[in-house]
Amino acid sequence: MSSVELQSIRKKYGAVEVIKGLDLSVADGSFTALLGPSGCGKSTLLRMIAGLEDITEGRALIGGTDVTHEMPAKRRVAMVFQTYALYPHLTVAQNICFSLSLAGASMAVQKDKGGKIAKLLQLESLMDRRPAELSGGQRQRVAIGRALVRDPEVFLFDEPLSNLDALLRVQMRIELAKLHSELKTTMIYVTHDQVEAMTLADRIVVLDKGVISQMGSPLDLYNHPANRFVASFIGSPGMNFLPAVVRMQPSGLHAGFEGGAVLKLTPRAAPHFDGGQKVEIGIRPEHVALTDPGAGQIDGTATVFEQLGNTSYVYLDTALGQIIVEADQSVRIHPGDRLGLTLDPARAHVFDSKGTAWATADQP
Amino acid sequence: MTAVPMTATRAARLRRINTAGAIITILTVLGAIFWAFPLYWGVMTSLKPEQDIVRPGLNMWPEVWTIDAYVHVLLNTMIGTWYLNSLITAGVTTVLVIVMSGAAGYAISQLNFPGRKAIWWMILASFMVPVPALIVNHFILMAEFGLLNSWLGVVLPQLLAPVTVIIYKQFFDSVPQDFREAAVMDGATEVQLLFRLYLPMNWGITTALAIITFIGSWNAFLWPFLAVSSENMMNVAVGITQVSNAFGVQYARELASAIMAGLPVAVIYLIFQRRVTQAIMLTAGIKG
Repeated sequence: MSSVELQSIRKKYGAVEVIKGLDLSVADGSFTALLGPSGCGKSTLLRMIAGLEDITEGRALIGGTDVTHEMPAKRRVAMVFQTYALYPHLTVAQNICFSLSLAGASMAVQKDKGGKIAKLLQLESLMDRRPAELSGGQRQRVAIGRALVRDPEVFLFDEPLSNLDALLRVQMRIELAKLHSELKTTMIYVTHDQVEAMTLADRIVVLDKGVISQMGSPLDLYNHPANRFVASFIGSPGMNFLPAVVRMQPSGLHAGFEGGAVLKLTPRAAPHFDGGQKVEIGIRPEHVALTDPGAGQIDGTATVFEQLGNTSYVYLDTALGQIIVEADQSVRIHPGDRLGLTLDPARAHVFDSKGTAWATADQP
Repeated sequence: MTAVPMTATRAARLRRINTAGAIITILTVLGAIFWAFPLYWGVMTSLKPEQDIVRPGLNMWPEVWTIDAYVHVLLNTMIGTWYLNSLITAGVTTVLVIVMSGAAGYAISQLNFPGRKAIWWMILASFMVPVPALIVNHFILMAEFGLLNSWLGVVLPQLLAPVTVIIYKQFFDSVPQDFREAAVMDGATEVQLLFRLYLPMNWGITTALAIITFIGSWNAFLWPFLAVSSENMMNVAVGITQVSNAFGVQYARELASAIMAGLPVAVIYLIFQRRVTQAIMLTAGIKG
């Protein structure tokens, strides 16, 4: 069993509370990403699981065993650090087998286990090198190897790809996904990069200022964000937020924008209100279509046109603020072009004044 | 790279730089000669017969070469014993200073315990106390412990080395915390962290401090002179004073004994001069 459970976890540094009564369950064998902006508490949470930070209040359980006050080395976890933390005075082989040598394992055992790890991570030709002689990707694999050799129940990754260039990051992401698929060990992965979280994780836990904003599968968070924070954090480019007033009409919920445009919304769980309710309509760039001026709900003027090869993005100034639209790669727009925008009502999100999303009718 | 054309201004500037460089070189060479001359004179004198030394006139080069003075010191004094005493006391002092300072520096840098800051401030404040001011206290203590005329009596007061503690502490502070945490996750104890991680990552510093501690302890005179009166327990710096006492003023022999006393550390310095310079820079940085 290698599930991880955090019960009512709090962390304080003096009077400052950085983790505020958090409950989290990580299933055995799952790949869970802790996602959030800098300062949200994700690394602190990971370090509390590792035992590198004390838990002010609450309990941490690994595999059903209370490890709240247990030493890091006894928690059956292994950690891959953002900076890799490879010991510079040791070779790759010595780095990988360091925990074994600390435990007094014989040279034969170290060689055997180190060899297997090296083969798995394609490090065989690098075993006599020192970390300074390795590339970023190689160092990353050695760091993973050092964690693997301990045969942990839980792997902890603290932004392991953030020091790599974009191409290497993609390659290492694939390797990590393959590793998880092979080992089927529980992995908890901290990142501020939502692309990493979306592509690697079975489940994403979005943190904001020390509390869990939402947790769920990547597509769940993408398609049904529970609040404005999650909606704005997941997805690149981010979601468009348009101020509107929602009214209950005989035909259903209608969102009225400044300038007279109206969007008929699909049924959703709205709280009771009389008259109009000020909300924000959230809509992703790929759910806004370009049309002729006057033919859509909103008109705007193109300011920036980005072509990425497989797709393109149009940035428009409108009466409701800037709107980003994803367009086909064949579209050609020039700054200053006047365009109409059609919003897909089935993909529109409604956020109240507190930023909470109104669930759609098909959401559980 | 395109060559810069030589203009009259540039040529004049280069001539000024060359002249300044030449003057500085000449002054440096003169300073070196001035500094090295006594050493040269000592070596030359030790290789002359005694009667040639006291002859009037300045003889920069021996007319007659002899190693009689060296043979006499080797065969008729206890220089062998003095070397052994120096090697033991300097060696033990070096090992103990490095181990204790390393451990103290590690504890102050990495561990959290009551009184840590107070101890750190006490170590820093101890710089204000000159070592000679403690000589009387050390003598009384060693006498009461019955350690006068013993290796331990010579070694113990030399273990006071706040500079090495401070240097270790500063270098251990600069080790990124990630290394420590990774080693803790791997199961390292504090002792393993010190000997498997922090010290090996700072071997250069350890080597530099060890060399300078050894040289300092080998050359130590004041405390060994006070702590030891028995000739067979003297270190070489003290022992060579016995040469003149026993035989009157015999310049060749005295100089030969002084050169033999300093030769081992001179050789060590020549081999490890980079490390010595590094250590001096470290300690100067602290004292400055």
